[in-house]
Amino acid sequence: MEYCDILIIGAGAAGIAAARAAHGAGCTSVLLVDRKENMGGVLLQCAHHGFGPNLNGPEYTKKLLENFPKSIGWIPNVTVLSVSGDKRAILSGAGFGAKEVSFQQLILATGCREIPIGALPIAGTRPKGVYTAGQMQEMMNLYGFIPEGPVVILGSGDLGLVMAKQLAQTGLAVTLVEQRPECGGMVKNQRCLTELPIQLQCSTTISEVFGEKNLEGIMTVDGRYLPCKTLLIAVGLRPEREVIFGLENPDWLHLCGNCNAVHPMVEAVVNEGKRAGIAAWEKIRGSL
Amino acid sequence: MRYFDAAVIGGGVLGCLAARNLMRWNLSAVLIEAAEDVCTGITRSNTAIVYAGYDNKVGSLKARMTVRGNRHFDALCETLEVPFNRCGSLMVSFGPGADRVLRKKYENGLQSGVSGLRLISGPEALEMEPMLASGVSLALHAPSTGTVNPWQLGIAAFENALHNGCEPRLQTWVLGIRHTNDGYIIQTDKGEICCKVVLNCAGLNADKVQELLFPPSVRLFCDGADFLILDKHAAKPQYIIFQESEEKGKGVTAVPTVDGNLLLGPSQRPLDAKPWATSHDGMDFLREATAQVLPGVDLAQVIRSFASVRPNPHRVVWRDGAYIPDGKSIGSFCIENPAPGFYSLIGIKTPGLTCADELGVHLARETAEYLGAGERKSFDPYRKAIHRKDHEIICQCEQISKAEILEAIARGAATVDGVKRRVGSGMGRCQGARCSLEIERLLEAAKRGIL
Repeated sequence: MEYCDILIIGAGAAGIAAARAAHGAGCTSVLLVDRKENMGGVLLQCAHHGFGPNLNGPEYTKKLLENFPKSIGWIPNVTVLSVSGDKRAILSGAGFGAKEVSFQQLILATGCREIPIGALPIAGTRPKGVYTAGQMQEMMNLYGFIPEGPVVILGSGDLGLVMAKQLAQTGLAVTLVEQRPECGGMVKNQRCLTELPIQLQCSTTISEVFGEKNLEGIMTVDGRYLPCKTLLIAVGLRPEREVIFGLENPDWLHLCGNCNAVHPMVEAVVNEGKRAGIAAWEKIRGSL
Repeated sequence: MRYFDAAVIGGGVLGCLAARNLMRWNLSAVLIEAAEDVCTGITRSNTAIVYAGYDNKVGSLKARMTVRGNRHFDALCETLEVPFNRCGSLMVSFGPGADRVLRKKYENGLQSGVSGLRLISGPEALEMEPMLASGVSLALHAPSTGTVNPWQLGIAAFENALHNGCEPRLQTWVLGIRHTNDGYIIQTDKGEICCKVVLNCAGLNADKVQELLFPPSVRLFCDGADFLILDKHAAKPQYIIFQESEEKGKGVTAVPTVDGNLLLGPSQRPLDAKPWATSHDGMDFLREATAQVLPGVDLAQVIRSFASVRPNPHRVVWRDGAYIPDGKSIGSFCIENPAPGFYSLIGIKTPGLTCADELGVHLARETAEYLGAGERKSFDPYRKAIHRKDHEIICQCEQISKAEILEAIARGAATVDGVKRRVGSGMGRCQGARCSLEIERLLEAAKRGIL
């Protein structure tokens, strides 16, 4: 069995910051793991600018990783299958196998997952062409996929707006449907509404989905039918904490970043990661 | 033209089990399915319950088959390596009207030979199942009720049928059927198939398939139903819960599935113009009824809703230039035999899953007798589930590895949904948002032979 002082699950902004902070404070045994090949987490699929001064996701990641200490352990392409109360985690990955790692402190930096359409009170069929917004962002920006228009996006929060902008820039007709009386995202993300031909329909939501095999359209609760071939669900995020399900807040567990609470700004995520890294190291030092 | 002794039309759980049972006899068989995969129709959306058999009229075919089918289910699932959980059920009532129904079902069940059945008081039911709402007046405990994943069972039977020599014809539409001197010719969009026996298991199209050759006798009049699925981490009852409502047809059923989720449904409602579409009324009903019966169920943990189409068979009569339904829905299993060697299962609804194998055994025996076929000595009843597993996790929520997905593709999964039905990928809380793309790429690679 392998051992580390601090195990960090998730190498997005929070995990990277936590690893650097713990290492910088003096911890020599930090292990950072992620299910993807590269560090950066969701930042890697963010083609839009708006991180740090005015960087896109990959650029901001590069900045976070400048002079990243080589002595921080890094294992890509692994899934943490479970974490147990006796401070052990089981890791699984291609070419890596399944390994048990014991630790003193655990930092969870697993981010969020998106709410799928099935969780919403939306009636109708379940045709092809319905995605979550982040899923489409990954498909477009990491795999070059281009969806068919017209596109309807449910939810005008930041992710919904970012996707609306990118899709409209691709030349697709985009309609945002927002349950609240006004657009939900940050002001800077709302700019696309005036700069691009994006429709915004507020104070309504989707009632029903149509289409047998492929998506044909949606109906809003106020009875408007919008034909569309792609529907993106951008109604919100849920902290991804499933791997610690059943553990009752042990004192060796630290949550940071979006798995702790959803942060609109990456800087807040980074700061929380730093604090978690230092707190974890303080716990170890205090017990020495 | 290809010749077979028997042709099964329809690859749902009924057709797949019929095909498997045919292979127990010395005959050649083909299974014709319109979709690109088996188990994509009604088999895909139902309550997944293996009933104890107390609901059905004493002495009826349904009652006999259900009790027998239930008893055989462990052995069936063991041979096919399909998970089956005999978790037991509690049918609960909250008032005198429903209490009477429970007592009647209890008597019914005793007479039909349902084992272990007992009527218990509200407090005792609450002790057994603490998630139940207080106020339960009476409960019927049936320890033999169980749950199985219907498409896993159908796919397993299909694989075993093929293993024993049955030939598959997927993506093949039946366009017409005609008589020959000693059998039938089935015209499809992929050519003609000649056979001596037709087993029509075409589900929602079973009436139409029979009418390709015979005058209408039974037709399907469908209603719809909605279902909700909850995250695995949501608290769930350990028993299958049936609510016997004071108002008939207004109870909810909650099933802790073999996959670890809680399944709520079905809501009963008329079918509108769009089959397979969920309705707000139905989903609202499920939420309200569940909150009343199982108040501890966290409905914020719903991850998926889906709809089902339920076929009700009615005898039809010719009147005023049209075939119209004659009275009420046929209560028993409707096994039509309009001519020698032609059998139709029309509108096999609850407890069709429980009796699927019994029906298959029955049809196969009829076929063998008709053909004069003896038992096949070499029949191998065993089918292995997908055990190949590696360390590369593709579906994070359900922790499904790449090797399992590749094995599912090798066994015939042609779509992301086909993979899902074989290994359970994409069934978790993110509903495939994180793995669909990767699975699509693996399917694509397999198709181009670059794996």
